[in-house]
Amino acid sequence: MSLLQEEREIIVQNKYADHFDFAEIEDFVKNASKDLFISHNFKNANKMLVQPRGGFPTYQKQYDLYEFFVNANVDVLPLTIDSNTRLNDYATSAKMLKLSEENEVDMLNGYPLVNHGYKTTRKMITHFNKPVSLRHGTPDARLLIENAIASGIFEIEGGPITYLLPYSKNFPLDKAFLYWKYVERVCANYSKLNEPINRESFGPLTATLVPPCVTIVIQLLEMLLSLEEGVKSFSVSFSQTGSMNQDIVTGAVIRKMAKYYAEEIGCGDASIHLVYHQWMGAFPTDKNFAECLINTSTVIAAMIGADKIITKTRDEASGIPTKESNAKTVANTQYTLRMLQGLPNIIDKEEEEILTEEVKSIMEAVFNDPADTLWRKVFNSIKNGTIDVPFSPHIINHNEVVTVRDKNKNIRIIKKGNLPISDRCFEYEKKQCDLNKDASSIVNDIIHDIGIMQW
Amino acid sequence: MKVVTGVVGNDIHVVANRLIDISLQARGFEVFNLGVNTYLEEFLDAVIETNADVLLISSLNGEAEGWCREVKILKSKYGNLLDDVVFMIGGNLVVGTGTAEDIVPKFKDYGFDLVFHQVDLNTGLDELEKYLKERK
Repeated sequence: MSLLQEEREIIVQNKYADHFDFAEIEDFVKNASKDLFISHNFKNANKMLVQPRGGFPTYQKQYDLYEFFVNANVDVLPLTIDSNTRLNDYATSAKMLKLSEENEVDMLNGYPLVNHGYKTTRKMITHFNKPVSLRHGTPDARLLIENAIASGIFEIEGGPITYLLPYSKNFPLDKAFLYWKYVERVCANYSKLNEPINRESFGPLTATLVPPCVTIVIQLLEMLLSLEEGVKSFSVSFSQTGSMNQDIVTGAVIRKMAKYYAEEIGCGDASIHLVYHQWMGAFPTDKNFAECLINTSTVIAAMIGADKIITKTRDEASGIPTKESNAKTVANTQYTLRMLQGLPNIIDKEEEEILTEEVKSIMEAVFNDPADTLWRKVFNSIKNGTIDVPFSPHIINHNEVVTVRDKNKNIRIIKKGNLPISDRCFEYEKKQCDLNKDASSIVNDIIHDIGIMQW
Repeated sequence: MKVVTGVVGNDIHVVANRLIDISLQARGFEVFNLGVNTYLEEFLDAVIETNADVLLISSLNGEAEGWCREVKILKSKYGNLLDDVVFMIGGNLVVGTGTAEDIVPKFKDYGFDLVFHQVDLNTGLDELEKYLKERK
């Protein structure tokens, strides 16, 4: 038995999980409907796929939500996991699930997949016969993804960096890399049986003034860590920056760079997709404004030519959305997308050139780290601030990079910390901003720039 | 001047914490930022370790109320080591609603010299600088 298989046998022996029959699961994946694979949908849909967010504690409520989504013409269903499961606390999620079932009050902020188990969940997934995307935020997702794939969920979101730096203060980053290596290998192995399992990175990160070069570098590195383990279908992603032009430039550069680096490591045969998240920052409380914002996001996604868009709802500022408003966004987004055919191709050469140079400088610095494997190089680069995510709560993050918006709302780096970007690029970034203000006005600007969609 | 800062309890609201850090640095303080999700004991340990002049605790989700009741007891464990340290707290200090008139005296009684409930960041830091100047 391989070491990986030995580890799998241990991982699935958990008193809160179903008894795992690996032979039966392999058989299921081998014969599963192609429609369940988002990788198959990417190839054949000829349109931008629309995916909402959503997860409820009980089977019945999740089922009802899916029914609403399907009636609203959804392309990809989400399965958002509750926060206890994300922290591997299956005892608490079991208790809260029971309370939710008995009292008809939601005691969890998502679907506790491990507690429901794959045998039950598979019935729901195969019934709707739509691709499902697993949304979580789990540093150690080993048991979770075993359950997901066995249920017929063939897209797994996340990664060791993007699911750690925005969400945790002190979960050890080196462990996260190793736990995610397991995820990549399991996905790669299942990919040989039918259509490939798609992996998706979480580009929004902290969704708080993250400069595009940092977002892109992290997307590329998680992609490489995945492809080097044998994953054949991968989605890079980012969220609306607040500047339409910066979004278009980011989309163009991330697409080119992803292809370039995949080929560099001899994985040019993998298919790479681009996912766009509607605005992930603080939302306006006015629900009509929220709808305007959502619609503008859709237009930008069309300008970028994203392969998938992940939607928000008019309830965003007030809490977990109802299934009605969630389905409404899906229908509205599909409507808007039907209007947006044959758009002009906008190219900002200067911005693209600067951003490309920044990305290449940081990537080169990561590759030049003396460590023996890619994950260790990335680990060291985060530790020494070569990669620095603004507003990450994690102790390993440097927090030296400072960004503000310029007059056109583009996110600019005004303090670069240890980011290894060239003087030319740094001067260009700073030149766009008014830096002759005193420090407290700059802090006020940052506060304003974070809440930009609320004003 | 050295300042130890961080967000008390299981609060993970990082944005304000970073802004406090940036603002303090801009005003010339040497900042030791313990970040979000910090326990009271860790704050006091850090003050001793860095020989800080100011301890600035912040809270957004209102957990401060529960945690800060123990400031005096903890402080007394260090003898007179913390006597010259300015204890400051700011943010949203209670779960639910409350007025500054009720909240400020309560936290002063807990052992804080400066208390700012829902006060603008720069105003709070101006007050800190004024307090430090007057104390000299």
